[in-house]
Amino acid sequence: MVAISSLTAVLSYAIALCGIVPLFPFLTVAPRVALAAGMLAGIRQDRRGTWPVKNWQFNLAVVPVFLYYALQFSRANPAQPVVSALAIMLAVRLCGEKSVRHYLQIDALSLFCLASSSLFNLSPVFLFYLALMLLLVAVSLVLLTFHSLDSRLILPRAHLRKVLAVGLMMPLASLPLLVIFFPILPRTQIPLWNFLAAPATRPSGFSDKVEPGASAIVGESRTIAFRVEMPRQPQQQLYWRGTVFNRMDGNRWVRDTAVPPEQLQYKGPRIAQTVYPEPGPSRALFSLDAPAAIALPRARGASDGIFEYPGPITRRLSYGAESVTSGILPTVTGIDRAFYLRLPSRIPERVRQLAADVKRHGTGDARRLELLEQYFRNGNYRYSMRDLPTGEDALEQFLFEKKQGHCEFFASAFALLLRAAGVPARLVGGYLGGDYNELGGYYLISDDMAHVWVEAFIDGRGWVRVDPSSFARNAGEVWGGGKQRNPAMKLRLFLDSLDHTWNRAIVTYDFEQQAEIARNAGKRLQKLEAGKTAKAALPYLLLPVALALALAVIVRRKGLFTSRNERLQRRFYRLIERDCGIRSDPGRLGLFEAAGLTGNDRAREFAAIYAGALYRDRKLTVHEFARLRRILRDGFVTKM
Amino acid sequence: MTVPHNNRTMIAMLDTLSRDYLHGKEEVLRLSMIALLTGGHILIEDLPGLGKTTIALALAGMSGLSFGRVQCTSDLLPSDITGLSVFNREEGHFTFLPGPIFNNIVLLDEINRAMPRTQSAMLEAMEERRVTVEGITHHLPDPFMVFATQNPSDQSGTFPLPESQLDRFLICTGIGYPPEHLEKGIIAGGGIRERLEGMTPAASTADILAARKSVENGIYLSNKVVDYIYALVAATRSHGMIQTGLSTRAAISLAQASRAAAFLEGRDYVAPDDVKGIAVAVCAHRLVMRPDQETADMGGLLRALIADIALPLA
Repeated sequence: MVAISSLTAVLSYAIALCGIVPLFPFLTVAPRVALAAGMLAGIRQDRRGTWPVKNWQFNLAVVPVFLYYALQFSRANPAQPVVSALAIMLAVRLCGEKSVRHYLQIDALSLFCLASSSLFNLSPVFLFYLALMLLLVAVSLVLLTFHSLDSRLILPRAHLRKVLAVGLMMPLASLPLLVIFFPILPRTQIPLWNFLAAPATRPSGFSDKVEPGASAIVGESRTIAFRVEMPRQPQQQLYWRGTVFNRMDGNRWVRDTAVPPEQLQYKGPRIAQTVYPEPGPSRALFSLDAPAAIALPRARGASDGIFEYPGPITRRLSYGAESVTSGILPTVTGIDRAFYLRLPSRIPERVRQLAADVKRHGTGDARRLELLEQYFRNGNYRYSMRDLPTGEDALEQFLFEKKQGHCEFFASAFALLLRAAGVPARLVGGYLGGDYNELGGYYLISDDMAHVWVEAFIDGRGWVRVDPSSFARNAGEVWGGGKQRNPAMKLRLFLDSLDHTWNRAIVTYDFEQQAEIARNAGKRLQKLEAGKTAKAALPYLLLPVALALALAVIVRRKGLFTSRNERLQRRFYRLIERDCGIRSDPGRLGLFEAAGLTGNDRAREFAAIYAGALYRDRKLTVHEFARLRRILRDGFVTKM
Repeated sequence: MTVPHNNRTMIAMLDTLSRDYLHGKEEVLRLSMIALLTGGHILIEDLPGLGKTTIALALAGMSGLSFGRVQCTSDLLPSDITGLSVFNREEGHFTFLPGPIFNNIVLLDEINRAMPRTQSAMLEAMEERRVTVEGITHHLPDPFMVFATQNPSDQSGTFPLPESQLDRFLICTGIGYPPEHLEKGIIAGGGIRERLEGMTPAASTADILAARKSVENGIYLSNKVVDYIYALVAATRSHGMIQTGLSTRAAISLAQASRAAAFLEGRDYVAPDDVKGIAVAVCAHRLVMRPDQETADMGGLLRALIADIALPLA
């Protein structure tokens, strides 16, 4: 027995939560407090059954709040006041006394709250809350019709189950409509009212300059930078090229946009990728080092092997790229050596001497590169993100005193020394590594994988990729082992693949792309080798299935685990209905009665054997069971 | 299946009776036999001339039991039934002359014509199975079975039996007209009273007592069937038209009668079918209807109730 009034109250709070939770992070403090207080006060008053403040008093009190937010409204700030007013209205409704009308208002306001959360954020969580809310609202509406007839109605459990089933059926029945509406309704690829707000700054991510010594500690953030769909590659080849820094100003490396023209040659097999960058301020289009081509309208390639977008990437997009991963970029003609040998005006004396040593001992670019590499390898340098050298002479400190730093120190110092020793060099900024998501078949690159390395020009070979960070004595620990794939990591990758699918299929939905995906899936299915993907996906697919099965078994255990007797008995009644036309509701016709009605000796024998065991409270013996089975198999058709 | 010997005797007896003597009365005969086997009494409620007395006579004749008959009238006194003490002048003391109740099977014909005083004396004897006359207690023979008949109470000059007395009858049933072809046969062949005189008993008193013992001890009553009986009893107690549902005594009677029914089916366990088949005869007359529902058909009501209770089939 369940009182309908308490049920509707609980449902309306659940619905309100579905609306509040996704919106909560984007609210200012006042509406947040109002919502929490309204919810708690409402629950408390509902439990006590007294409402000291009347609804009209609440309504009156809200008027000044409305006026305040109306004044706040401006073209620059259109969303926040509206959403705040919405939240406060919901809070007021939650804490007041509730009639059917008020419950409906709560449902509507909650739905608006949920909808307005999509102004700020487009994440798959929205779908979850929406689905949950639709189910709850449907059930709540059915219950409210009862409630409006008699608020003190008490429903027996069996009736309640029926009501719930009807409530749940309504949204489910509307699911097929989704298939029609999804492609035809307009949608946005960015949160509507949030596109002007600058994305959060990235502490350790990729930036447009390399400035070692700016701070003593570098934070690590797991923010996603981009995803790349491609087959798995050897981990040591995962250098993602973003930009090239070709001029050193004081302590910092920057990009001089006046890149001297040169023509790179891409030799060797090309690896195709599809890159999905996260929207952000950067203009660099990343791809595996070094990209031969990037298929994206308006993307511009530079002669030093990088591609850029004309403006910041503000919406979700994707592009195809083809890369050659040999690590050596030959040029057709020579290069502008002077451009890549430019040095900053002030170079520390010790650096100058070290470079001079290298220059003296080595003849030719290749030998000098080798010497410098040896110097780094023997120099006992440590790769570290903490306790970094700072200040004007940070590089000098790094090279000769502290001997620890991150990739920017290694790369800046190495490139500086190369240039000082007369070897043309430049810095390449991008990312190193990536977590391969077997389920989605893509690499996940996060901001903490940002990396800088060096390209040195060796006559006769071309631009050679050198990663000075790998000369650190602890390089093996940092990159060698690779990350352990612990369950948390696996789960993260799994969730990310959901996110990726959501972005691909829903947010950046475009019909051609969907058709392409379907085509590819068809192709892949044709050449499906019971491969790794299936293996990797299996546990994640099986888990919900197993859970659902377990739930079904628990709920319907009586129906599923029918005893042997139950099955025999049911078959008996089915047979006499089929063969003798004796129809009866289950459990209304006794065994002997039924057998007597058939006038069939085998039916009588069945009844005698079966009832003999059943009503003597003993189990059927093996022989009896076999005999019963035989009787049932033969049926009860009376032979003429 | 092991069927006790006495069981076969009883079934054979029933078969002979219904085949050779009482056509179309199988059900009443079966119920009478059940009453005999459980030590209960039977009340047959129907119009005159449908063979009530014949059935009682036939049963007595077939089972070899002594038979007594009391024709109830409004001036019948208790002592006319129980018997009385007469002064024996030669021996100089009172001698007890037993009345017709000192027989194995006693036919109380038209019991509702007797005065309440006489009715109650008879019913007390039925219950106690002994008679006390002038301070001396006389035990009635065993087996002892009252075979009462009653005209429907709307006939004139009757004293309807009170509910508490009705409860003492294990079974209350009607007879009904025989099927057409059987009735035609009866019309053509005439009554069978004379033939009943020359009947040879098919069983002895000892047989009947042994059978009664096996009914009492040898028939297994499963908890499933007990549950079913209880469900039936409980359903009568919560029904809207019924004022007083079935008592625990009624439930016990139902279980006993079911045992006897199972025995007559040749089984050594009770099936819910037995309960179902006997429930109306055992229970209908014990229901007390609400004042505004007194004219309702109790048998029909009970049948509807039974149809709503699921049999334990697994």
